[in-house]
Amino acid sequence: MTALLPPEIEGGSRFDRLVQPARVHGSLYTDPSIFAEELRKIWHRTWVFVGHESEVPQPNDYVRKQLADQDVVMTRDKDGELHLLINRCAHRGLQVCDDKAGNSSSFRCPYHGWTYRNTGELLGYPYNKGYGGKNKLELGMGKVARVDSYHGFVFGSLAAEGPSLDEHLGAAKGEIDRLVGLSPDGQVKLDAGWLRHRTRSNWKFLAENETDGYHPQFVHGSIFGVTGSPIGALYSDNSTAVTRNLGDGHSENDLRPEFRSFAEPMRWFGTTPDRVPGYVAAMHEAYGDDAQRRMIEGAPHVMIFPNLFIAEIQVFNIQPVAVGECVQYATAVQMAGGHELNQRMVSQSIGSVGPAGMLLADDTEMYERNQRGVEMADPEWLDVRRGLGRESVDAAGFTIGAATDETGMRGFWTHYKSLMEAED
Amino acid sequence: MATTPDPQRHDVVFEEPTGPLAVPGVGAVVESEFASVSVRLDQSGNSVRLRVEDLRTGRVRFLDALELESIVWLEDGHLTQLLDPSHERWRG
Amino acid sequence: MVTVNALTELPPRPDAGELVAIPQGWEVREVEQFLYREARLADENDYDGWEALWTNDALYWVPVDGEGDHPRSTVSVIFDNRNRISTRMKQVKTGKRYAQAPPSNLRRIIGNVELIGGRENAAGGVDLEVGANFMALESRPRGNELWGGRVTYRLRQVDGQIRLVYKKVVLVDNERPLPTLGFLI
Repeated sequence: MTALLPPEIEGGSRFDRLVQPARVHGSLYTDPSIFAEELRKIWHRTWVFVGHESEVPQPNDYVRKQLADQDVVMTRDKDGELHLLINRCAHRGLQVCDDKAGNSSSFRCPYHGWTYRNTGELLGYPYNKGYGGKNKLELGMGKVARVDSYHGFVFGSLAAEGPSLDEHLGAAKGEIDRLVGLSPDGQVKLDAGWLRHRTRSNWKFLAENETDGYHPQFVHGSIFGVTGSPIGALYSDNSTAVTRNLGDGHSENDLRPEFRSFAEPMRWFGTTPDRVPGYVAAMHEAYGDDAQRRMIEGAPHVMIFPNLFIAEIQVFNIQPVAVGECVQYATAVQMAGGHELNQRMVSQSIGSVGPAGMLLADDTEMYERNQRGVEMADPEWLDVRRGLGRESVDAAGFTIGAATDETGMRGFWTHYKSLMEAED
Repeated sequence: MATTPDPQRHDVVFEEPTGPLAVPGVGAVVESEFASVSVRLDQSGNSVRLRVEDLRTGRVRFLDALELESIVWLEDGHLTQLLDPSHERWRG
Repeated sequence: MVTVNALTELPPRPDAGELVAIPQGWEVREVEQFLYREARLADENDYDGWEALWTNDALYWVPVDGEGDHPRSTVSVIFDNRNRISTRMKQVKTGKRYAQAPPSNLRRIIGNVELIGGRENAAGGVDLEVGANFMALESRPRGNELWGGRVTYRLRQVDGQIRLVYKKVVLVDNERPLPTLGFLI
């Protein structure tokens, strides 16, 4: 059931009532009409992470992807340009591509043979006299209006107009820079396949949880305990790590203060330089004096609004299915140069994430119990005030909270509200 | 007929292709969800040719060296025209 | 550019290579009984009993996308060696592995049991490779899930006991999003 409607607030918008500084309303997670509005105002409008250029390395490669409720085909045309086509024939609306991936300069719909270039342009149709000859139809496959990428991370926006990807990413670009800066050749690949984890929960529970530093000791205590992992301590009340609102709905758990205090290269990866000598040498070769800092500070833990979560060595692509269902696509970061870290990152990712992951299966259990809980009537609100009274502004002007504070969630909701208040 | 190999020509090895994409007696298969063809070298003529078979219909075409070279040099636009279903196969 | 060391090279995938003849000394009925026992221990969340079936060179693999790509270079749902099986068991035994606390109620059927061939192991012996189909009904507080697929087992006789060397579970729906898989499949 849907939670009760919140009380009126004098003079405010509908979302002023639902999204307040210290609390958000339960119906945001359960109301199908709000989900439909999110599709229009967020998922079909803002920049959404879709995939990575390394998934289509060769000219004419293509791969099926999901953009919210849209089945899209990410293609690289013969000239190397990326396109996101909507997988629907302009004739009768059939799905044009059926395979998950392939290499083809053109796509032929199996229903009546209509044929498209991998740019979406209609190339021809059988028995063209029925249409008065060739090139008579101003039709083509639908396209995601804008496609852009940053360090190979491909985003699409179904809106023809709006902020650029550069503007959308804002300060989060620096976090992607940090990630690729851990690769000796400055590039990462996401070509290790994707785990697909069906999650019976509203997508926003995931977006909020990704930089929630309050939950790890509880939800992940079972695995931290048996492996002796030091990760739990990073999210304790004594931790010097900070939660940062990066603006534009993005947030991070910045663990660098902790890693800097240890000043041990590769500690962030749970290893030591002598166990990955080839990688360490390549980093020194590539970055000289700065290599040590990079290997001490490690990879980012950043949630990029609305659906890209970089969890150090894993990348998550969250896609909504319905008000109470989403899919988490997860993969291991790979160094473009084919490094000794790659197999370790695959192995660690398999252990941690996906349907049987020793971390993410437990997060997902929480998301699903959360969804059931929030369908209850009382109390109507979810509390997001943790750390509100002890926030500060860092040297770069970002709001920061303690390691376990809900600063990231509040940043998420501020941006969410601004998008949902926009005109349809 | 000359029996001495022409040093200008490359050695041609008529090995049956192997591997996951090869079908014995058919050749290497070039395949996507849209088409499935087999390719193999054919030496029944006086020069080697490429034998290409549309595995969905069984139709076969042989392409000689000059024809293949011409395909390599085809402008992309001309190649694209050939992909129009009305161009030949479903003309009408 | 620094030369990348040998750690980047992949060993053959665990299911690569040709099978040899079915090794001597195996009775189909005994093999079936072992598979049923393994299934019962998993169904009843008898973690110690289940873990004790494995050899030290254990490999427990649940790929995605059909038979899966190379499990060291691409992600799988599960790709556990003996150590990681042990970690997984320790985690669930804490009682705070929430994805399996409370544990699933489970029952599975194993069928179409077939002795497939022999598989040479690193110690120079030959393990028995067995194929089977399975269906499992899982009940959890939020609903039921039906799981099904093909299992390939490798078995070895150690000190007169049958032990499990390798178990690969190819779920029929592993190309689609899967729900949480917290139990022993």
